[in-house]
Amino acid sequence: MTSCTRGWRTAALATSITMSVTPMAVHADAMDNAFSKFDRALATFDPIGTYVREPLERALPNLSLKGSFRQWTDILLDEHGQVGFQNQDYRFLQLQNLFEVKGAYHLAPGLDVNAVAHALYDGVYDWQSSSGLSADRLDRTAELYNNSDRILREFYVSYRTPAFDIAIGKQQIAWGKMDGQFIDIVNAMDRRESVQLESEDYEIRRLPTWMLNTTFHFGRNSLQVLYIFDFKQDQNPLPGSPWASPLIPPPSLNTDIVLPARRPQNGNFGDHEFGMRFDRSTGALTYGFIYAYMWDKNPVDRILGTQQSNGSTQLILEPRHERLHHFGLTGDYATTLPQLPMVGALPAVFRVEALWTKGVRFVDFAAQAAARAGAITDGTVTHDTLRAAVAGEFGLPANTTLIFQASYYQTINWKNTLGGGFGGGILDEWTLVPLVYVSRPFAFTRDRLSAQFTAFPVLSGPDRHWQGLKTKLRVKYKFSQFVTGQLVYNGYDTGSSQDLYGQYDKWDNIGWELKYEF
Amino acid sequence: MNSKLCQALGGLALAACCVFTVAADPSWKTVDQLTAEERALFDPSTSKPRDSKYAYLPAEPYPFKAPFTAEEMGFRSAEFVHISRWPYSLVDVFGVITSSGYINQGVSVGYVTQSAAPGLDGYMRGLNVGDVHSRWMLFSTFPPEAEAEQQLWILYRTDQKFSTKMDFFIYSPQLRRVRRQPQPRRDQRFPDNAQTFDDVIGRDPWEMDWTLLGTDVIHETVRFPNTRQHITLNEPPKGYVEYATSAIKPMGEQYPFYTADGGVDCWVLKAEVKSDWLPGYNEKTLIFWVDKHNFYPLRTEKYDHKGELIMVEVRNTKLQNPARGEFGYAALMTTYWDLPHDIISYSMHDAHNPHSWTAEQTEMIFTPEFMRREWLYEPNKSQALIREPDQYFMRPLLYRDKFPAVRKIVIAPELEARIQAQEAAGHLIFETGTATAKQ
Repeated sequence: MTSCTRGWRTAALATSITMSVTPMAVHADAMDNAFSKFDRALATFDPIGTYVREPLERALPNLSLKGSFRQWTDILLDEHGQVGFQNQDYRFLQLQNLFEVKGAYHLAPGLDVNAVAHALYDGVYDWQSSSGLSADRLDRTAELYNNSDRILREFYVSYRTPAFDIAIGKQQIAWGKMDGQFIDIVNAMDRRESVQLESEDYEIRRLPTWMLNTTFHFGRNSLQVLYIFDFKQDQNPLPGSPWASPLIPPPSLNTDIVLPARRPQNGNFGDHEFGMRFDRSTGALTYGFIYAYMWDKNPVDRILGTQQSNGSTQLILEPRHERLHHFGLTGDYATTLPQLPMVGALPAVFRVEALWTKGVRFVDFAAQAAARAGAITDGTVTHDTLRAAVAGEFGLPANTTLIFQASYYQTINWKNTLGGGFGGGILDEWTLVPLVYVSRPFAFTRDRLSAQFTAFPVLSGPDRHWQGLKTKLRVKYKFSQFVTGQLVYNGYDTGSSQDLYGQYDKWDNIGWELKYEF
Repeated sequence: MNSKLCQALGGLALAACCVFTVAADPSWKTVDQLTAEERALFDPSTSKPRDSKYAYLPAEPYPFKAPFTAEEMGFRSAEFVHISRWPYSLVDVFGVITSSGYINQGVSVGYVTQSAAPGLDGYMRGLNVGDVHSRWMLFSTFPPEAEAEQQLWILYRTDQKFSTKMDFFIYSPQLRRVRRQPQPRRDQRFPDNAQTFDDVIGRDPWEMDWTLLGTDVIHETVRFPNTRQHITLNEPPKGYVEYATSAIKPMGEQYPFYTADGGVDCWVLKAEVKSDWLPGYNEKTLIFWVDKHNFYPLRTEKYDHKGELIMVEVRNTKLQNPARGEFGYAALMTTYWDLPHDIISYSMHDAHNPHSWTAEQTEMIFTPEFMRREWLYEPNKSQALIREPDQYFMRPLLYRDKFPAVRKIVIAPELEARIQAQEAAGHLIFETGTATAKQ
């Protein structure tokens, strides 16, 4: 090979590399520019804030207006047809659009009127062809908030002084924040998402009620007293809704006679609910105690009688809400653990929440069988229940957060003929959920990108031992101070089809959430 | 942006600037060039009698009498820290922008209370070292994700022996929990920000050795872009008032000492950080432009241990507390420009409302326990947020020609191009593409 040839080949190679790289570089540059412009434009994208909130607040300086629009979409990885009693002939679990507006008007020092309005539309019933989804015909609010109770979510007047706060009206109270609602017992919950409902959504899923809420402050102590004169019950997944349990037969297959539920009466003082909470802070430790005299948010079927039909005995059942006494405690302690291997000084918070509930009424299937055989019984028994959680939250290097939470549920003097009941072991005497959560932002994106992973294994005894594993992987990106987006995978694995997570084994899904706040 | 073109433009502009400097009468003078009137106000001595209790304080009662030493001028300028030394409430509107134009902003309603008499003298002599001198409660109202987050700053009178500046508590509404945080490093920038902790709380003047460099006339401090013609400020008790940005003056409307062409006569002071007081401190030298009449620091420059300019802070001020006379000026808007990273931060103190707090209010509001109540005690608001990136405050002027013997300004070519593009356009011009990750 001559030097001339080598030179020609080198030149040709250089030319070809230049020719191929230059358009790519130009293209990459153009893409970068376009992305940067988009990023810049999105950073200040706040149309409602700019054109509605700001002018309104300027015209009415005592008015504060905030709100958000959220769009969630969850899609099943596969369509499985008939699963238990559920006809899973659909892919979309939710196509929810929620518009929230929060307004507060400052009347005088300490005196404010507050309101929160919601408008929700879930497209799962309209935007896919399915015969398995029909819950919107049972209850329109499954698809669309169309009544004043759902639209005017909160409305209360608050008056605050140094010594006490008082708020009267429709509101929600969050007692406790741990995943699993250990002492969060004041408001009922819209549980349309069943096992996929988690603590971050409690705020928008609680069902606010009319109440009087006062808190007295003295030194480092506070005493909160609640008087609730508007009972609301939990709203569980309706038959024919995407998250309806495949274990529960539809009403049409029920051979017994079920009467309308007997609810507490709002006009009857004896049916009103009460609660109190005492809190104290002493440096890094805060702790509190609660007592509440409330109704079970879920009715329990009582047998009123029997009747014969086609040679078989039908039970006449009346679902009733039952009175409960709740005793709870909460505490958290913040500290920094001294120099540890690998992680150095480790900021940590330890939390505990526990609730003892006295006199929880359970359906006793043995008693129901006896009733069918002619015994006189209402088919229920009462047991005390305990639910508690202990959690440690650790601030690891690189802004990584690790949470370990052990959640425990037990029914005292349990027997295997019991149905479900407030606070007790889930389908068993006791249940243990050792939850693990890891969250980490990525510095190269200026912490705008973050990832979170959560695992919820469910152990129980003495019958079932293992009830499945729920895993959640979420990648979140902060487009701006107003707009965030996330991609989420939820998986339900192992456990039998009769178990808590095992029943949803075919509900693995991916989804996204877009949120605009103004 | 074509960086070579920008460099060429920059070179031309710089050359033109130099020609102008040579041709025009410079606005600045060294100490040797002071007028007789200025000499009458300046005492060049460096060893004046010291206070019997605190040797690091001058013995002469504050606020001193003319003629002033450089140290006394420095002490007077320390009267005007970022958060004023009197009880009041305000709305702090703040933000930061990257070189690619990504903007982050926040709004906090702030309440300030003092343990001693208002002013620097109350801080210096009204308290014992180690006493709490001030408490700040900050309640976040923007962005939405930070709503109801709170911070409680409990600040101490410090000196060389007692150096703990503050106790720091934060409240997270998501966790419903108050956490005690360690004090930030004094010389460290807050994340993604040009401001350091000391830029917020102020530096004690006895931590520095003071020298007078000369005088100057400043016409412009905080720079509005030509894309932002108006700003709405909240002025209790009037409420929202709209101003043309061109009408906002460095010392405010009521300042009676503007020069004929609208400038502010300034002393220019150099402060060397005492290494035995602040060992390892990131900033070696600070240069202050303080107005001649009240010693208000309109411009501050920070230099690192290589002697290079690393940060410029400029302020527009206003007589916010007339009852305090010449001491009643407070920062209205401040721009911070970190040159090595080209980060531009701003802080605007809107709705400034001086008022005392009752004992009951003080005991209630300025405690960690109060944070849990999530009570925005005075629901003050602001409409001063910036809407678009190109409406962001411009980088401060560099004044490359002034005091060249002590001001070493080294600008990277990319930054030089951005500066020149900004000057040509009258507003910030952003890099595109991957430059976002630079900071």
